[in-house]
Amino acid sequence: MAKRVRAYVKLQIPAGKATPAPPIGPALGQHGVAIMNFCKEYNERTSAMAGQIIPVVITVYEDRSFSFVTKTPPAADLLRRAAGIDKGAGNPRTERVGKVSEDQVREIAELKMKDLNAIDLTGAVKQIEGTAKSMGIEIGA
Amino acid sequence: MPGGQWLELSVSCDTEAVEPVSELFAGRGYQGGVVIEEPFTQEPDGDNLAVDPSRPVIVRTFLAARDTKPEDLDQIRRALWHLGRLRFVGELVVECRHEEDWANAWKAHYGVHRIGSKTTVRPPWREHDPVPGEAVIVLDPGMAFGTGLHPTTRLCVELLEAELVPGDVVLDVGTGSGILTVAAALHGAARIDAVDIEPVAVRAARENAERNGVAGQVRIEEGSVGTGSPFAGRYRLVLANIIARILIELAPGLAAATAPRGTLVLSGVVESKEPAVRRTFDSLGMVFDRRAQMDDWVALVYRQPAAG
Repeated sequence: MAKRVRAYVKLQIPAGKATPAPPIGPALGQHGVAIMNFCKEYNERTSAMAGQIIPVVITVYEDRSFSFVTKTPPAADLLRRAAGIDKGAGNPRTERVGKVSEDQVREIAELKMKDLNAIDLTGAVKQIEGTAKSMGIEIGA
Repeated sequence: MPGGQWLELSVSCDTEAVEPVSELFAGRGYQGGVVIEEPFTQEPDGDNLAVDPSRPVIVRTFLAARDTKPEDLDQIRRALWHLGRLRFVGELVVECRHEEDWANAWKAHYGVHRIGSKTTVRPPWREHDPVPGEAVIVLDPGMAFGTGLHPTTRLCVELLEAELVPGDVVLDVGTGSGILTVAAALHGAARIDAVDIEPVAVRAARENAERNGVAGQVRIEEGSVGTGSPFAGRYRLVLANIIARILIELAPGLAAATAPRGTLVLSGVVESKEPAVRRTFDSLGMVFDRRAQMDDWVALVYRQPAAG
């Protein structure tokens, strides 16, 4: 059917735990999306990934019907896990809160490759390194 | 869910800054939730949807107002300032939002809608007393296109009402929510076959057929027309509410599925792409009958010649 898009929204939410509370309620409610249907579908598809942040990209069509695809966890989330830290640095220019190896960066880049707008793995690695840098995570050999 | 007031935090930034800003927001926001709104471009009929990297992205999060101290916001501002040294990050905007019944508020968008001369759509939670001859479709809006709120659906329903002869055998291509299939059944079609390439739509259409008590006369399968189609055979009436590009792609299959002297209704054609669609179907030997228009959307009626 004809699908002119009314809104295109990405949510980063915990797998299997979608509810109509913020951010989902206000983000989707204004577009008239049947929120409970979304939550049910998202939770079903992500229940096996509990404990992770699973981003979801929702396309809301002009007649308020919608579709969504789930993505790989955010690079920041994967970097925090790899570095074994809770959160990034307050001041990433001077503060170092953790360290990951080049291999770990490469693994994350490989996992994220399909969701990054990188031309090749080298480009993807650069993006992950950039994210690490802005979180105050050092990259070692 | 904490009741009362919420603080909505938003900031615009460039694509490269989205990850670190989201990471910062995820650490503070309610349930770690973050909303990322990427600007997008699309053709007039929604085709070729793509993210527009030339415009800034907006990142949002929500905090329960009663658990948030002014110094928390200062801390977030400071962290954003630091990120802004590395990449473009705009000013933090903080807005107060009242708690709403988000689980139900969206329902206000769906009322009882007249979508044809004698067809009405109602959501399951609304009552409606039909007048004699009026078909009422009960539709639970969700993940399949066709809530009845769109001109392309309404154009198709109008033409279906005009073209359908009771007892007809109908094919609905790209059924979405199944709204046209249900409408055809309620208006007296003997049998309707419907296809959609999206499993979600097939499921929704089956549910909607069941809900409207017409499941016995419809078959809904994943697929399309042409080679590999789940349904062979030719139909007295074929409905295809898709978009111009796909209608052109499927043209030979749609024409082949239309029985001799049968009718093909094409909808979802945005005005600027009408000439291309017309050229395609004309060249296949289909006979143009008439067009209908609502806003910038056009629907076309074609006839299959007697010997087609």
